[in-house]
Amino acid sequence: MAGIYIHVPFCASKCSYCDFASFPKETGKAEAYFACLYREMRSRFAALKDKTFDTVYFGGGTPSFVDAKYVLGAMRLIKECAKLTENAEITLEVNPGTLDKGKLKIYREAGINRFSLGLQSADDKTLKRIGRIHDAKDYLNACAMLKGFNLSADVMIGLYDQTTEDVKNSIDLALSGGVKHISLYALKAEPGTPIYTDYLNGELLSDDEVADLYDYAVGYLKQKGLDRYEVSNFAVKGFESKHNLNYWMRGEYIGFGVAASSFIDGRRFTNVFSIDEYVHLLLNNKYPEASGEVIEGEDAKFEFVMLALRTTFGVDLDKYRSAFGSEFTSDFADAIKSTEKYLDISKERVKIKDEYLYVQNEILMYYLK
Amino acid sequence: MGKKLKSNIRNFCIIAHIDHGKSTLADRLIEMTGQVSEREMQDQLLDSMDLERERGITIKLTPVRMFYKASDGVEYTFNLIDTPGHVDFSYEVSRSLAACEGAILVVDATQGVQAQTLANVYLAVDNDLEILPVINKIDLASADPDGVKAEIEDVIGIDCSLAPLISAKVGLNVGEVLEKIVELLPPPEDLDDKPLQALIFDSYYDNFKGVICFVRLKAGTVKAGDRIKTFRSDKQFEVTEVGVFSPQPTPKSELTSGEVGYIAASIKSVQDTAVGDTITLVSNPAENPLPGYKKALPVVFSGIYPLDGSKFNDLKDALMKLQLNDAALTFEAENSMALGFGFRCGFLGLLHMEIIQQRIEREFDIEIITTAPSVSYKVHLTDGSVAEVENPSRLPDISTIDYMEEPIILANIYSPPEYLGPIMELCQEKRGVFIDMTYLEEKRVRLQYKLPLNEIIFDFFDGLKSRTRGYASFDYEITGYEKSDLVKLDMYLNGEVCDALAIIVHREKAYARGRAIAEKLKEVIPRQMFEIPIQAAVGGKIIARETVKALRKDVLAKCYGGDITRKKKLLEAQKEGKKRMRKLGTVEIPSEAFMSILKIDSE
Repeated sequence: MAGIYIHVPFCASKCSYCDFASFPKETGKAEAYFACLYREMRSRFAALKDKTFDTVYFGGGTPSFVDAKYVLGAMRLIKECAKLTENAEITLEVNPGTLDKGKLKIYREAGINRFSLGLQSADDKTLKRIGRIHDAKDYLNACAMLKGFNLSADVMIGLYDQTTEDVKNSIDLALSGGVKHISLYALKAEPGTPIYTDYLNGELLSDDEVADLYDYAVGYLKQKGLDRYEVSNFAVKGFESKHNLNYWMRGEYIGFGVAASSFIDGRRFTNVFSIDEYVHLLLNNKYPEASGEVIEGEDAKFEFVMLALRTTFGVDLDKYRSAFGSEFTSDFADAIKSTEKYLDISKERVKIKDEYLYVQNEILMYYLK
Repeated sequence: MGKKLKSNIRNFCIIAHIDHGKSTLADRLIEMTGQVSEREMQDQLLDSMDLERERGITIKLTPVRMFYKASDGVEYTFNLIDTPGHVDFSYEVSRSLAACEGAILVVDATQGVQAQTLANVYLAVDNDLEILPVINKIDLASADPDGVKAEIEDVIGIDCSLAPLISAKVGLNVGEVLEKIVELLPPPEDLDDKPLQALIFDSYYDNFKGVICFVRLKAGTVKAGDRIKTFRSDKQFEVTEVGVFSPQPTPKSELTSGEVGYIAASIKSVQDTAVGDTITLVSNPAENPLPGYKKALPVVFSGIYPLDGSKFNDLKDALMKLQLNDAALTFEAENSMALGFGFRCGFLGLLHMEIIQQRIEREFDIEIITTAPSVSYKVHLTDGSVAEVENPSRLPDISTIDYMEEPIILANIYSPPEYLGPIMELCQEKRGVFIDMTYLEEKRVRLQYKLPLNEIIFDFFDGLKSRTRGYASFDYEITGYEKSDLVKLDMYLNGEVCDALAIIVHREKAYARGRAIAEKLKEVIPRQMFEIPIQAAVGGKIIARETVKALRKDVLAKCYGGDITRKKKLLEAQKEGKKRMRKLGTVEIPSEAFMSILKIDSE
């Protein structure tokens, strides 16, 4: 398994909680940005001839905000320069307020087969308050347009005075659009974002309240046929995101664009954050890496465990053995012993018990050496 | 009559309340007598420790020699022996007083006589020192020199008609102080032909020269090559160097009676030349030692543990080095279930404790955990014996205790009258017994209370400060032990007793204190994977309970664009934080929890 990630750092306006590489005021730089993105892709793929890729993911920012031709261009380039499997999962993140028939036609042409819609909430007032440019109706319209595609929706918990009723409404609305996959993210107020002030003023929900909403959502989604397969991800069986699963399985991926991360041949690296710097470096025939490190030995093993324990599959003992040539149960014997009451241990796998999945950092502390 | 005098020597110290300008005046005197070049001159020369400069207080005493040509045309040698200003260090004050004939009393013209000034002046008077009052800070708009003079005359009973009115900060009238030193402070007696008697008033360890003894020669002379001994030790040493402080140690061919200086004699152990002991010559010994002074006894005790258990020996080294020039510090190894191996340390007071803790962390770079301070209790056992208990967790079994005694202090609290109510209320809460109230002047009252010391170490300072908006000051002396109905308050975490959190408390206070500590611990102990009951118990009976709820959410929501490195870094930071935790069974306790139980609102 290997994935391709493409970052589109443009959007109509920044949401109040967003601290990602997304620059609404720099939309004018899209032409130069994509020219350089293509340049980065050509150069990287030339060195990755032996890899086969199974997924492509356009994330942002708002990939559906920019001219669809850039997405098409990137896909053409992938098909030209890289080995992409026949039935690859090709996802594009969509803001429901930015989709139109013209764009969709081009996405279809580009080969996009999965759309991830940023719904966040079914409540229009809340959407407005967090700076989303769409409303609930836009979401349904977008879903109608995207009928027949593999769809996913993002829903947020922890928003202001959100109740379980609100969470239920959001999930109901999301599902009514025909999605088979929901990412349920807890809002995290990052310093420097507008919502951080609200957080400091105590206007957001407490961790306990968020945990209540989460527990409720896990139960409600299950009732609706969506099982949790990772801390924040729920799907009807068979509709799990292959691209995300690859992350949790410590698979390889190559990321293009500002702030994109990669993991190739045991090395992790992350690109520069600013568009100008990114463009500048590529125009000077340099890779736009900001930082990177080779992960080996104990670090690699810990990563494997840290990522696998996020999923409901847990650590696959065979996969661990074939990755490292040693036994998970002996490499982490002490940690397993100290945390066994939080684990489900079978012959094939070790996973965190459902009820402790949301407090796994405490558990991971024992595995971090 | 008939006393021969060293008429051109003056040995004196400066007594002042914190912030009244003692160090600034000392700096001016040194500067005006030209002992230090401008380049070397940094503010508050005598406060050589970083900590002293930073906090603007003097902890250690430092002698300085100066030369002053007075208006009578004679050149005088001044030996200034600096004194610490804080109540915890009155022991050091008495040491420096014993080396002087006179004392300059510096009083802030805007604030008047403060508690600590009084305590030290009385010490000086007891030591037969001549007092030269100096009114400082007269450049300030709020200065009231006449009022302050009257106050000094009233309260202390010394004549202020000749007191120089100065501003040490701007250098106003400091020359007058120099003249008055010559005029009013007595010179030492000339006893050069008598057998050597040199009082050791301080010492420190030099890696090359061994122990350097700070001495005041009362009689005789001493030079390099002399064989010396002390009265308390049988060992003999050959003097390698004598000298004076100007202010750096400067070798000299000989020290004679009346002088202040140092003696080095390749002495390897500080114990061989105890502070307060008298040095004399082997060949011509003095018959008697000089009167030593009361050895400082530690009154506040706390456990000090290395945060990293493997640093136990480093901590031991640090304490030994600190003890070399801080004779009042005591320590012995102890073992706690919650904290591992560490030391039970004894201090002169809370400030002394705080300073030692900071010096360990800064000068020796060892991170430490300290337990709540305790006092020393006298525990009378049913078999008739008496145990001294400084560590609450070492209190003998209740069934073997006949009764207990606790140390009692006499506190002098000085305050503007409008805060009398709140102060009395505070003293009441702290089991105080009212002794006396005196109006020192219209706007200043002295309240005297008898209080148990264990109440003082438990947020009394903070309480006094907050209730009087910082206007009240206070000092105390230990007057003895009194029988008291004391109990051990144990804290249980997740059902296990935590020895390092135990305190000894008056029975009537146990319930409130237990509840307050449980509440505080609930605040500082982070939520963990399971629910943690916190219980306070007296004699096995639970008197308060709080619960730290189980953690519900700590997972990182999303790895955007697969940024796994960032996620791992966050986990590593979290893990690093865990190193500051101590484990008791399965419960993790942050190191600050052990001290935080002291910082409880008394409201």
